[in-house]
Amino acid sequence: MELLKIDLESLSFDGKELLREVHLTLKKGDKVLIKGATGSGKTSLMHTINLMNPNYIGTITFHGRDIRQYAPDELRSRIMEVMQEPWLDNTNCLEALQEPWTYAIHTKKHPASFGTETWKQKVNNYLEAFGLDETYLNKPVSQLSGGEKQRLALIRVLQFEPEVLLLDEISSALDQNTSSIISSCILNNFSGTVIAISHDPHWQNSWKKTWQIENKKVHLSEV
Amino acid sequence: MDIQLSALALSAVLLLIPILIFSELKIPLIRTLLISFVRMAVQLAIIGLVLQFIFQQVNLWLTLAWMTVMITAAVWTVLNRLKFQRNILLPVLVFSLLSTTLLIMPWIVIVVIKPSPVYSPTFLIPIYGMVLGNSMNSCALALERFESNLSDNWKAYYTRIIMGANQQEAVLPAFRKALQTSLMPQLLTVASIGVVSLPGMMTGQILGGASPLVAIKYQMMIMISIFTGVSITDYTAIRMYIRKRFNQYYLPQNKEK
Repeated sequence: MELLKIDLESLSFDGKELLREVHLTLKKGDKVLIKGATGSGKTSLMHTINLMNPNYIGTITFHGRDIRQYAPDELRSRIMEVMQEPWLDNTNCLEALQEPWTYAIHTKKHPASFGTETWKQKVNNYLEAFGLDETYLNKPVSQLSGGEKQRLALIRVLQFEPEVLLLDEISSALDQNTSSIISSCILNNFSGTVIAISHDPHWQNSWKKTWQIENKKVHLSEV
Repeated sequence: MDIQLSALALSAVLLLIPILIFSELKIPLIRTLLISFVRMAVQLAIIGLVLQFIFQQVNLWLTLAWMTVMITAAVWTVLNRLKFQRNILLPVLVFSLLSTTLLIMPWIVIVVIKPSPVYSPTFLIPIYGMVLGNSMNSCALALERFESNLSDNWKAYYTRIIMGANQQEAVLPAFRKALQTSLMPQLLTVASIGVVSLPGMMTGQILGGASPLVAIKYQMMIMISIFTGVSITDYTAIRMYIRKRFNQYYLPQNKEK
């Protein structure tokens, strides 16, 4: 069975119709890049999946169940998103990673995970894969560069190993090298499903499956 | 001791001093000053007559009717003061001020003071005025702070919900800050009372001939009632506001263009 099945007659944002007749499916572990011109509806399409844009006519199912039947926090704890410019509180990096552990939905699902040896191992693996190291955990967030902040925001989500990861232009403010590290790390080190938006040519070349938006339609292509 | 009307009129002679100051500095406020004091005198005269009537009747329904007038005026005042999300504020204010009324007032008259009859307007109405007036001001401040904490930081809010925060968890920092900002001045007043200023109610009682030792007991009870009332109002107002402000997907609604 498909993990995600999208069947939309129409999708709009701010009262304007952006897409029509969208029929897409994703299996567990699929990694897909959404391409299209600015304003064509990439983010709006991505945001229907985590109920951040409920302005659509049609049905989206996750594990065969309509996403509107999930409690929003339950759905968004399994389909997690990282934004273009991450928001991080004025704390140190470790506390930034702890923030989502204050949400009931995560503590319910992973009891006592934060701070355990398994958790530390997992976080260290991600830090290393992203070209950072353990010493970062004690640094104040305010001392990080834009690229370091973005990687920290990614690890903040990856520590929960969400079933689906949504990445909304997370590479747009990064230098070429950092952007490539992040792309290959997500393709190689993360086993879950990923839906990403990126204008970076490196991402566009290395992601084999794409959803191309053109004239209000979404075209699927697989290299 | 009563004040003679003619003597009261003589107190108005004192106003010549600010009028002289205004005219020396050519501050264009003399007209406003005169209008303000005439308004005050007329309003108080009317209220005095109304209260005199209500206090003499000692009628449960009349007392409740006057309390309804008071809460309506409070809701109306806050509605006029707040400039955001006005279409959802009415139920928020009615609900929060009403819950404060129903929790605080019965406790005060039935358990604490126990006047006879229990609905004696002489006790209910002045105490209610203090609780309501403070709740009204604080609630306006709390809602304003809450909304501005949210709208100054939508990115933080959205980040929390896309990582799985529920409605309560996503607004918690703004909620906490709003309550802190609105309750802090109340606590400062509580802590400084008596040293600098004698509060209005106590002044009134002492001038009216009550012993200071009785007056301070009433004052303590009033301070406790006001602070509790304000806390209940601010808390329930923000709770209710959250329910109206966000839809079932925790997304803000009623966006004002």
